[in-house]
Amino acid sequence: MVLSLARVALRATARPALAAAVRPAAFTAARYSSHQAEESYEQFNERYQAFFSQVGDLFELQRGLNNCFAYDLVPSTDVVEAALRASRKVNDYATAVRILEGVKEKVENKGQYEAYLTELKPVIEELGIQTKEQLYNL
Amino acid sequence: MSLLRVAAVRAAAPLSARAASTSAVHVVSSRSNDGPALANIEASWATLPASEQLEVYQQLEQVQKQDWKQLSTDEKKAAYYVSFGPHGPRTPVNPPGTGIKVFAGTLGAVALALGLFGLARARAPAPPATWSREYQEESTEYLKKQRSNPISGIASEGYKGKGMVMVDN
Repeated sequence: MVLSLARVALRATARPALAAAVRPAAFTAARYSSHQAEESYEQFNERYQAFFSQVGDLFELQRGLNNCFAYDLVPSTDVVEAALRASRKVNDYATAVRILEGVKEKVENKGQYEAYLTELKPVIEELGIQTKEQLYNL
Repeated sequence: MSLLRVAAVRAAAPLSARAASTSAVHVVSSRSNDGPALANIEASWATLPASEQLEVYQQLEQVQKQDWKQLSTDEKKAAYYVSFGPHGPRTPVNPPGTGIKVFAGTLGAVALALGLFGLARARAPAPPATWSREYQEESTEYLKKQRSNPISGIASEGYKGKGMVMVDN
């Protein structure tokens, strides 16, 4: 009786080890990382566009902006447009100006900034936003 | 009884808060027609007392609710400055002109050091009589004559060193 119990216990401990040993090759190649899979640029933009279009107050907007502009990439024009519209929604002109300033800070050169501005021209004119350079004649 | 009183206080609290906020808005509306308050807020913001800063902030909050195309440049600038201007936590660690100041200070310190060095050199007494080429060459000859260190040193065969000569010129 005792012997059979011991055998059962042994078998129970032996089994997981065995199962681990015959793990399919495909799984062993997976990267074991504390992080989730890397997000693509498109997914990032979609996520923040969705976030900015549902923003309800200034704090949320600025929190989202801080997160969004903390990445090592420049958010797409769709995201920036959503953010500008969000700042209109929460009635904060200063944040709208700050968003454009943030874009200027993130892009690599002046040409890219100009490209963003021309691409965003419709929404900028619709909302009546001026860039910091226009405000202070820089 | 005490429970009831707490409830009554709770019920009264939002009313008083609301009354306070409406009175604040009232103050704002009385101020919103005086323009100069916003005109050069960059200059006056730092010296405004906290209560007036709050007033300006609330005034700007109301202003920004309009169509943004109708805002004046002053209002736009004021809104931007109050939110993101270089004050409070955004005060620059090194205000403009710091670089020049540091550079000038460093130059001044180096010039002062050079001046002190030159002064000390100028006021120093003349070098001793032993510090001349003739004296030192003569010392070498003297050492050679009395065969000083004859195996590897100054009096050895084919000696190429400078001997006792330490003067540069």
